Amino acid sequence: MLKIIDLHAKVGDKAILKGLNLTVKAGEVHAIMGPNGSGKSTLSYVLAGRSGYEVTGGSVEYEGKNLLAMEPEVRAREGVFLAFQYPVEIPGVSNKYFLKAAYNAQRKHRGEPEMDAGAFLKFVKEKAKLVEMAPAFLNRSVNEGFSGGEKKRNEILQLAVLEPKLALLDETDSGLDIDALKIVANGINRLRDPQRAVVLVTHYQRLLDYIVPDFVHVLSGGRIVKSGGKDLAVLLEKEGYGWIDAEKAAA
Amino acid sequence: MSPTLTETDRFAALFAGEKARLPGAGVRWLAAAREAALAAFDNQGLPHARFEGWRHTPARALTETVFEPAERPAARGGFGGRALCPITFHRVVVHNGRVLPGGEGSTLSGLPAGVRVQSLVEVLRDEPESLKTALSRGFAADGLPFASLAAALFSDGVVVRVARHARLDKPLNLLFVADDSAAGRPQMAHLRVLVLLEDGASAEIVMESVGGGRAPFWTNLLTQVSLGEGAALKHYRLQRENEAGVQTAATLVEVGRSARYESHAFNFGGAFVRHDLRVRLAGEGADCMLNGLSLVRGDETVDHHTVVEHASVGGTTRELYKAVLDERGRFVFDGLVDVRPGAQKTDASVYNKNLLLSEDADVHTNPEFKILADDVSCKHGGAIGQLSGESMFYLRSRGIGEADARRMLVYAFGSEMIERVGLEPLKEALTAALHARMPEAAEEAA
Repeated sequence: MLKIIDLHAKVGDKAILKGLNLTVKAGEVHAIMGPNGSGKSTLSYVLAGRSGYEVTGGSVEYEGKNLLAMEPEVRAREGVFLAFQYPVEIPGVSNKYFLKAAYNAQRKHRGEPEMDAGAFLKFVKEKAKLVEMAPAFLNRSVNEGFSGGEKKRNEILQLAVLEPKLALLDETDSGLDIDALKIVANGINRLRDPQRAVVLVTHYQRLLDYIVPDFVHVLSGGRIVKSGGKDLAVLLEKEGYGWIDAEKAAA
Repeated sequence: MSPTLTETDRFAALFAGEKARLPGAGVRWLAAAREAALAAFDNQGLPHARFEGWRHTPARALTETVFEPAERPAARGGFGGRALCPITFHRVVVHNGRVLPGGEGSTLSGLPAGVRVQSLVEVLRDEPESLKTALSRGFAADGLPFASLAAALFSDGVVVRVARHARLDKPLNLLFVADDSAAGRPQMAHLRVLVLLEDGASAEIVMESVGGGRAPFWTNLLTQVSLGEGAALKHYRLQRENEAGVQTAATLVEVGRSARYESHAFNFGGAFVRHDLRVRLAGEGADCMLNGLSLVRGDETVDHHTVVEHASVGGTTRELYKAVLDERGRFVFDGLVDVRPGAQKTDASVYNKNLLLSEDADVHTNPEFKILADDVSCKHGGAIGQLSGESMFYLRSRGIGEADARRMLVYAFGSEMIERVGLEPLKEALTAALHARMPEAAEEAA
């Protein structure tokens, strides 16, 4: 589904990704872990198409197409979804209007008829229940005045509405208490399906207790330096990232 | 028009020629008031680049055009489809400077007891003495040359009087329609509006201007509002001139003890628009809320100058003006709150927020306080920003196209002011008008 080959990217003058390789197949859940500054968020933004992140080498293939050539909205309509580490507040735009616009943009892209306001409201209320979000949040401005946990749940609500093929979750677990973490994990697990893939970018192993990954990768210095199964995450949690750097230095 | 005349002479000559035919011409005190107003105008002259309060407001669209007094429009009727206000409101239509009688557009049947709405011409014909106090009293005309000109030259207007504790049962729409004359030359109309609410009275008034035709039409309005103790006025001003249209409007408001004045100004088009709003919180606990939303594009200029004078104890001011600027639009905001000595417990805030969609657009913002009391709470701020790149990316990352995302964010910026409108049918019409005035740049980006 996703094939990243020798990806280099910079922000401003600073090279962040330095030859990253990653292949994700449909049905798989991958966790990308790494210390602060290793390039985790840069990878997420490059895949979602944020401006200011310049790709200087390599390629990203998504379902056989060149992902990097697509505008951000086209990536989304094609089924790529990034759950933001810091979801953006948009005063004056109601959550339900925003969700409907996003949902219908996707349907239009697929040649499907747009859903009318009444039908959409019913649909989105069901989805809100899944993430235990009160219907009142649908009428509020997007993320405005939401607590950290509410913002993350709102990301998962968007995920549930848009049902992407490839979900990228950037530090979705950060700042969540245990109950919110379970709700968020539950929302992501519900999306697991042989046709879909999930990439979790995280600093801590905690989330992986609830979303068990098929593969764990360690990102360090802009490259994936080690890959393994879920046991790798446990080891990282116990030992930290230092031993990987030491191993790298010894090699 | 002889080229040797200076501009103020042009108006003086016009006044000399017309004064015998102007409404109330036989009323001596009114003739004197008109003469005094012309002298006040003459004294100030037309605004120019060094004119106090006009430095950032090039008024060439106004000063370099020769306007003739408005004539009867080439076509009549059909106002319903052009107004934002629904037909269910009470309505007075002022077409090319003349109030139309009932049956020709104005619908004033069934006003509740204690409420009178009349044309100024009618009142000056039938009972001029009832307006002596209101019309012969001078006003501080500094920086308001056109208010003086309106007081000298007014051809008609509207008088709204609400008696003690009476209430206007539904909103009153004063609809100012400007259309080309058969000749198609630039025209002007000078008009006065008086709104007098006695103690405990209340009303909602929507002054709306609509510019048809293609030729420049200059509407020059002087509105005076007087609110007695505990009175309440919601004053909406919606302005949509044609592309060459000019509006100058001075609104002078006197707010009595525990009375409340609420103003909502919407500017949706016109080559040159200048609004002066001066509110005097005269009585203890008087309150005002001043809102504005201007959508400025093309080569349009919109200027809001507001002055709120806190003359008594415990007054409140809440002021927020917003503008969206596209293309080469220019917006000027000057908001002064003047807290007089002894006006303790004044609580005032003045904010102006602007959204620039084009590098060629221009904003001057100056929220300001002059405070001569010591126990007050005053806040102000001016902001000029662009669409947030972060917000744009967030919307696009959910599949929303760039043009739609821009439109959504611009709409969100402006809709805050529409949300403050209490009249539901008007709110809907304004929402539609805001959508219709969405920046062209956003559409081009599609």
